[in-house]
Amino acid sequence: MSLIKIALAGEGGQGVQSIAEILAEAAYNENKQTIYIPNFGLEQRGGVSIAFIQFSDKRIGAPKFNKADVVIALSERAVERTTIYSDKNTLFVYDTGFKVEAEMLPQEAKKIIGIAAIDTANQKLHPRVFNIIIMGAVIGLTNVVSFEAAKAALEHKLAYKFEKNPDLRDLNFRALEIGKKMAEESLKEGVANNA
Amino acid sequence: MARIMEETRKAFITGNEAVTWGALAAGAEIMFGYPITPQNEVMHYWTRLAPQYGKGFLQTEDELSAGFTVCGSVQSGKKAFTATAGPGNVLMQEPFGMAEAMRLPLFAVIQQRGGPSSGTVVYSQQEVTLTTFGGNGEGHRIVYSTASHQEIYDYTIKGFNTAWKYRFPTFLLGDGYQAKMREPLEMYNPEDRGIEMIDTYPLIGLPGHIGENREPQHLCNIYSLEEELYEVVMRVSAEYEAISPELVEYEEKECEDADIIVLSHGVVSRAADDAVKELRAQGIKAGYFRPITLRPYPQKQLREAIAKSGAKKLLIAESAYGQLDRLTKQEIYGETIKIENLFMPGVGIIDYDIISKVKSSL
Repeated sequence: MSLIKIALAGEGGQGVQSIAEILAEAAYNENKQTIYIPNFGLEQRGGVSIAFIQFSDKRIGAPKFNKADVVIALSERAVERTTIYSDKNTLFVYDTGFKVEAEMLPQEAKKIIGIAAIDTANQKLHPRVFNIIIMGAVIGLTNVVSFEAAKAALEHKLAYKFEKNPDLRDLNFRALEIGKKMAEESLKEGVANNA
Repeated sequence: MARIMEETRKAFITGNEAVTWGALAAGAEIMFGYPITPQNEVMHYWTRLAPQYGKGFLQTEDELSAGFTVCGSVQSGKKAFTATAGPGNVLMQEPFGMAEAMRLPLFAVIQQRGGPSSGTVVYSQQEVTLTTFGGNGEGHRIVYSTASHQEIYDYTIKGFNTAWKYRFPTFLLGDGYQAKMREPLEMYNPEDRGIEMIDTYPLIGLPGHIGENREPQHLCNIYSLEEELYEVVMRVSAEYEAISPELVEYEEKECEDADIIVLSHGVVSRAADDAVKELRAQGIKAGYFRPITLRPYPQKQLREAIAKSGAKKLLIAESAYGQLDRLTKQEIYGETIKIENLFMPGVGIIDYDIISKVKSSL
């Protein structure tokens, strides 16, 4: 696997940093080289939360990057804030659950993809597993970690919650799978390709 | 000394956690600190782990006090340390100066943030001048600039030993990126790697009577006469210069036939390493030089790299406006190699930035 750079951006509370950490741990458990760094400036207080993650087989250089292979923006502000990370090689993903004007989307992208993660979480699953759908989508788009490693990392991270309520395990794993499928479909069909 | 880990183990943690584990493994007994981003988690993790390992912690009223309590603690023979950043590093220069004056085995971790003033809480390499030379002194300090979590762990352990062996204040110079990012490393007990931790010893309250059966310690940071101070500073300078050759550490790659040598330190050296590999792949003869100790500086080794390569240019890349550049120029005074620079104060540098700069420089 050559170097894959991902920027995940959302509002505080959407769980962007949690899934970045779980994905990075899953990759680490698969003996891949991984760096995960959150943006932690003052912007974080009431601003957009961004997770920068890199995966590779080889030692990774600088912890941040100028352009990402995949950007996932989970709010209107997150779209605005992350267009700078997009260039002609970038898959730019946003959620169709909020309104985005065409001119807000990046000028340059390999593909712009809209996925309905927020709606899917609210209607089919539970609002709380919205971020896990996104985590599944990252895997569907990039294969940075195997599905099994992602499940194992989720299990590890949420063990105490699963113990209290075993139904949550199934809910999270379903969300992960749905996210992965949504992303794979979107790559095939090129839905909402506004580029 | 109690073993912290049953066996060597891999971990995927932040740099701040790596400092904490390194300090535990090194046998640190107490941390004094005051919160400031991006070093906060050194304190957080230490306070979480300290009770489990019978260690101490004191949050002082400010950084001045944190630095001075370390000065006091090490005099009583405790393996003490602190960690700070940015304006906190500015405030701590007064106690750090005392540690220079009194030759105290103080160890401190600096996680650089943007400046001047409160600047940003994020990242920079703008605390090089401050950390290497401090305030009203002569820079009698030892500064390790790390580039990975493995080095943070290794040099935290080493830093305590350096401080207690040589009795010069010793610093681990990291930055916000290294502090906050997660990456894999291997953690170990020093003895499992053949590293012998130096036993600490009290500097005050020693047995015996001065003038009868022991010499005075002369732990002094103020003198009545100019001549007294002069004598002390000259003696300490000579001692510092004498030990410098054995303290100097650096990394050098591909300098044998380089047309241009990329010089960087800390986290930027990771991008420089990648850039040099990519430039070589494209047929451009680039070399890589990285001082690990910024004080003392590997000036002899850099001069040798310049001489053997016959390089025409030295590119100094740093996330500051010329702090490594100034330090390097004073250290290699007399060299005629042309010096180019890539100054990006307060922001990260990636391989692309260095590759572009090298190409436009040649």
